[in-house]
Amino acid sequence: MATEEGSGGGGAGAGEKKSSQVPAKPGAGGAGKFLAGLPSRGNFSSGSGSSNLGGFRVYVCEHSTDPPEGQVIKTDSTNILIRHLQLNKQKSEVKDADSRTPGENNRGKRSAARSLDVNNSAKRANLGTSSGSSACEEISGFSQHTLQSFTVERLRALLRQSGRSTKGKKDELIARLRESQG
Amino acid sequence: MSVWNYVVTAHKPTSVSHSCVGNFTSPNQLNLIIAKCTRIEIHLLTPQGLQPMLDVPIYGRIATIELFRPHNETQDFLFIATERYKFCVLQWDAEKSELITRAMGDVSDRIGRPTDNGQIGIIDPDCRLIGLHLYDGLFKVIPFDNKGQLKEAFNIRLEELQVLDIKFLHGCVKPTIVVLYQDNKDVRHVKTYEVALKDKDFVEGPWSQNNVDNGAGLLIPVPAPLGGVIIIGEEQIVYCNANSTFKAIPIKQSIIRAYGRVDPDGSRYLLGDNTGILHLLVLTHERERVTGLKIEYLGETSIASSISYLDNGVVYVGSRFGDSQLVKLNLQADASGSFVEILERYVNLGPIVDFCVVDLDRQGQGQVVTCSGAFKDGSLRVVRNGIGINEQASVELQGIKGLWSLKSSFNDPYDMYLVVSFISETRFLAMNMEDELEETEIEGFDAQTQTLFCQNATNDLLIQVTANSVRLVSCTSRELVDQWNAPAGFSVNVASANASQVLLATGGGHLVYLEIRDSKLVEVKHAQLEHEISCLDLNPIGENPQYSSLAAVGMWTDISVRIFSLPDLELIRKENLGGEIVPRSVLLCTLEGVSYLLCALGDGNLFSFLLNASTGELTDRKKVTLGTQPISLRTFSSKGTTHVFASSDRPTVIYSSNKKLLYSNVNLKEVNHMCPFNTAAFPDSLAIAKEGELSIGTIDDIQKLHIRTIPLNEQARRICHQEQSKTLAFCSFKYNQSVEESETHLIRLLDHQTFESLCVYPLDQYEFGCSIISCSFADDNNVYYCVGTAYVIPEENEPTKGRILVFAVEDGSLQLIVEKETKGAVYSLNAFNGKLLAAINQKIQLYKWMSREDGSHELQSECGHHGHILALYTQTRGDFIVVGDLMKSISLLVYKHEESAIEERARDYNANWMTAVEMLDDEVYVGAENGYNLFTVRKNSDAATDDERARLEVVGEYHLGEFVNRFRHGSLVMRLPDSEIGQIPTVIFGTINGVIGIIASLPHDQYVFLEKLQSTLVKYIKGVGNLSHEQWRSFHNDKKTAEARNFLDGDLIESFLDLSRSKMEEVSKAMGVPVEELSKRVEELTRLH
Repeated sequence: MATEEGSGGGGAGAGEKKSSQVPAKPGAGGAGKFLAGLPSRGNFSSGSGSSNLGGFRVYVCEHSTDPPEGQVIKTDSTNILIRHLQLNKQKSEVKDADSRTPGENNRGKRSAARSLDVNNSAKRANLGTSSGSSACEEISGFSQHTLQSFTVERLRALLRQSGRSTKGKKDELIARLRESQG
Repeated sequence: MSVWNYVVTAHKPTSVSHSCVGNFTSPNQLNLIIAKCTRIEIHLLTPQGLQPMLDVPIYGRIATIELFRPHNETQDFLFIATERYKFCVLQWDAEKSELITRAMGDVSDRIGRPTDNGQIGIIDPDCRLIGLHLYDGLFKVIPFDNKGQLKEAFNIRLEELQVLDIKFLHGCVKPTIVVLYQDNKDVRHVKTYEVALKDKDFVEGPWSQNNVDNGAGLLIPVPAPLGGVIIIGEEQIVYCNANSTFKAIPIKQSIIRAYGRVDPDGSRYLLGDNTGILHLLVLTHERERVTGLKIEYLGETSIASSISYLDNGVVYVGSRFGDSQLVKLNLQADASGSFVEILERYVNLGPIVDFCVVDLDRQGQGQVVTCSGAFKDGSLRVVRNGIGINEQASVELQGIKGLWSLKSSFNDPYDMYLVVSFISETRFLAMNMEDELEETEIEGFDAQTQTLFCQNATNDLLIQVTANSVRLVSCTSRELVDQWNAPAGFSVNVASANASQVLLATGGGHLVYLEIRDSKLVEVKHAQLEHEISCLDLNPIGENPQYSSLAAVGMWTDISVRIFSLPDLELIRKENLGGEIVPRSVLLCTLEGVSYLLCALGDGNLFSFLLNASTGELTDRKKVTLGTQPISLRTFSSKGTTHVFASSDRPTVIYSSNKKLLYSNVNLKEVNHMCPFNTAAFPDSLAIAKEGELSIGTIDDIQKLHIRTIPLNEQARRICHQEQSKTLAFCSFKYNQSVEESETHLIRLLDHQTFESLCVYPLDQYEFGCSIISCSFADDNNVYYCVGTAYVIPEENEPTKGRILVFAVEDGSLQLIVEKETKGAVYSLNAFNGKLLAAINQKIQLYKWMSREDGSHELQSECGHHGHILALYTQTRGDFIVVGDLMKSISLLVYKHEESAIEERARDYNANWMTAVEMLDDEVYVGAENGYNLFTVRKNSDAATDDERARLEVVGEYHLGEFVNRFRHGSLVMRLPDSEIGQIPTVIFGTINGVIGIIASLPHDQYVFLEKLQSTLVKYIKGVGNLSHEQWRSFHNDKKTAEARNFLDGDLIESFLDLSRSKMEEVSKAMGVPVEELSKRVEELTRLH
């Protein structure tokens, strides 16, 4: 019926393409050379890859489809802005903790009292970071016991300052810190 | 019809949206995974070709699928996201053959505007996170932990609001996305972002590229070590990367929507454009530096929606608009300059824009003719339930009593002789050298009497059983070798034989068993039964194909079927059939490795039993009605598989699928006898004896629905059938790419049998065919085609002008009789009380058919009704008119004859955007809306107040998950008036994804029963990926979500039959109904489609 007309239209389209810069259908011996070495992993090797290799089995899900524990994924429902603020706050806390470290060392046993001040304002924390440059030298004074009393977060901060890996359990962190001291 | 409806799929979705390749079912198996809207197909790549494995229903419309390999895994996982914001990660458990849910969840947000350009779901190549773009301005991240488990998802604000595509870049230290977007000046740019998982935020990425091609719509990330991204535009293709490499190549203007990567290193890609041209894109590179791009023409395929390079030069081209294809890329171009060779086509009916139901064979069974496909892949498809016999040759022969084929030697693959038995003679036909059938003689056979049975036997012998004797004839000499005579006073009534055994029954209940030993007939055993024998069979079903250890015998008087052991002729089993109708044909057969005993009665009923081939035990008794006349059963094979042919007034093919027996009717009216006749000239053919005729024909593929394609190379939009003129007419249009992208709109007339084009009527420029019906008018006996059109002028928002054209078919051509101009698009036409009802933009208009003095006619406007946004769909019944509005749901109008006016009677006040409406009966109307839902509304004629009467009450709601374009009353299957199912009215619908479905209105008690079954089944048949059935079927659109009601999911209910026996029993226990009863009721439903 309309078959011939249609393919004629397609041919005209291809002819038009020739006028553009793209190598077009008639002169397209070119595609052949790019088709060499098509990836093959041994399938479709025998014959024409023809049909009749059986039909589909309709899958009927008789078994339980519950996902493993903890793999029902939900979205963090916190507003993006609030989450951003919270994250910033957390960050500043960590920084704050970092900046505090040298001070605590100097003040010896009052460190416990100091740690109550951890929830400082961001402003003070920022001030603290400026003096954090000397922190590295001052780590060395920590005893095993003092280190033990620190939170993992603080230990990590200390390690980060000394440019060491922050990975692992608390004990490993302490060991690494002591290693860096000694 | 009623408000209790049962919705079931007769033809599954076939339009392909996504495909991907990976090691899903095993670390060393390569799979092709195809997404077809609500189903996923898993194929296996083998040296022989593509082997289908699984067809998996998904409780959702698939938005994206992706295969990925988490760390420390040896095979790929499948990520699926659905349009209703659910996702799941599936893993294949090869041991149990199960799809395990590794993770699932809901990724919807309470606020957010759904994206206009479709949902995007992507997975980081290093498997650090899944990225989803579902709402404008938000990018959702589901991170993986280092064990490959998914963690809590979070949103990141994405500044770009009009996103066209997002992909992950390869080879980046931090997960990096590249975003293609359009700014508020409609200019398109590309930008990159790093995803900082810890800060849950974006960090400005390594590079960006402003002002890319204005038609750019697709990004292709290039694998490491090259890295970077290819930006596919409409006029140029650009490669860029972080090292500010920038390479561009101009292309002929085209829209490329599909790509497939050929090489793992990303140096070659296949691109498919909107005209179905397949291109090869080559990234030339020196080591890790891209030096340029090249694009080459490969050839033409269907218009691709997805392209997957499989292996060894074979490519899968998935299509939404035409058949999907398996193509091979050849190194050498063929004569037409194409490097593409099409290996296989996979039928796709989508998009079904319109269809009509016709009954061409006048057998009370509908065929659906669809307007399928789009653009160049447009076609008409004739969808028929059942199996077609294509007649190759026929001769007139009266009074055929039996039909057998014989081979010239036992090991010959082809048949040679056709034995035709009459009441007092037997004739032999043979294939001659010219492959013609001519009459011949087989000297050793008795040609003077009726033959009861014929068969090839071992040692190149032929067996003929007549009333008096059994004759053994040599194939080579054609002479009598041995003979067994019936005892004096007795004649043989029925007989059956196989290659080495003969079983026959004489009057008085004598059963005689003979064996062929050393070319001699030896009477081995004789038994005397208490009643006369009506039929028998000893088709071998055991391991030995030449010897049967069981025989089946049907009895008069006690109406039983008995199983005897051979050779000792001991009764093993007796099954009383009940009733008073004598079994007329028994058959032992093995289908798909399962043995059955089939027993057909004189009234068109058929019993089937599962048969234990070693013990002869009969189980799982089932009864179906195939016709009304005696049935005779015969096996035949097609494409190497055995099936059973049941000859009767409604011939049926019985075949096995998924180890279940299925019954498919054959497009022949009455068949008395059938035998397979496989010759070199007519391979895999059947010889069929009808009343007064012997014919030879080939048989269609054995499948439930048979689809015939009539390619058009243009897109058909509206179709209708006219029985009186034996024609089909349709509106179609065609893109002329060569000339400024213009379209030509046409009305075509086809012969309804041959589908040959008879006539073409071109419409004016800018004129679209919008509706077509066949109708007649009051005081005029002629039948006309009426066509409604619209002038779609590019500057106008809504058409302001259209035409109604009335054509008569004269000598196979369309004659324009009357033309009437309208003030808008004629969206719908209906024959209405001998007048013509048209929906024109926001108005419903009724036209009278008036004769002028000179004998010509005209359409005269009688009355109308305003008040719609756009009246797109109208259906009528009596004086009632149901209107489906663009956005105001359904309203009911009534025509008042006395006042000659149309008034609104009631409406549904919901704001549904309609896509189709139909009246189920006077009271209940069904509608489909653009959120893929179905709903029914009911007229409240008994309500107390006017207010309530003016309201169409919503009585049923259901999420179909398919976009319905048309409802039509009718049925795809033969309706047997005497069966219960025959009374159930049905409506057929067609959808964009190529689904043909059925809505059946059930009696209330049946509905209640099935509703209970459905709610029980939900507990036993889980949703793949733990997706919920209840949520999936709940009515859902932008405005509301409501639980499904008064609709049943037939696909779920019918999957009861696919359950394992143990699960069936559990369901039966929970229901308190025996398994047999449940199976029977569900099986009955499957015969609705």
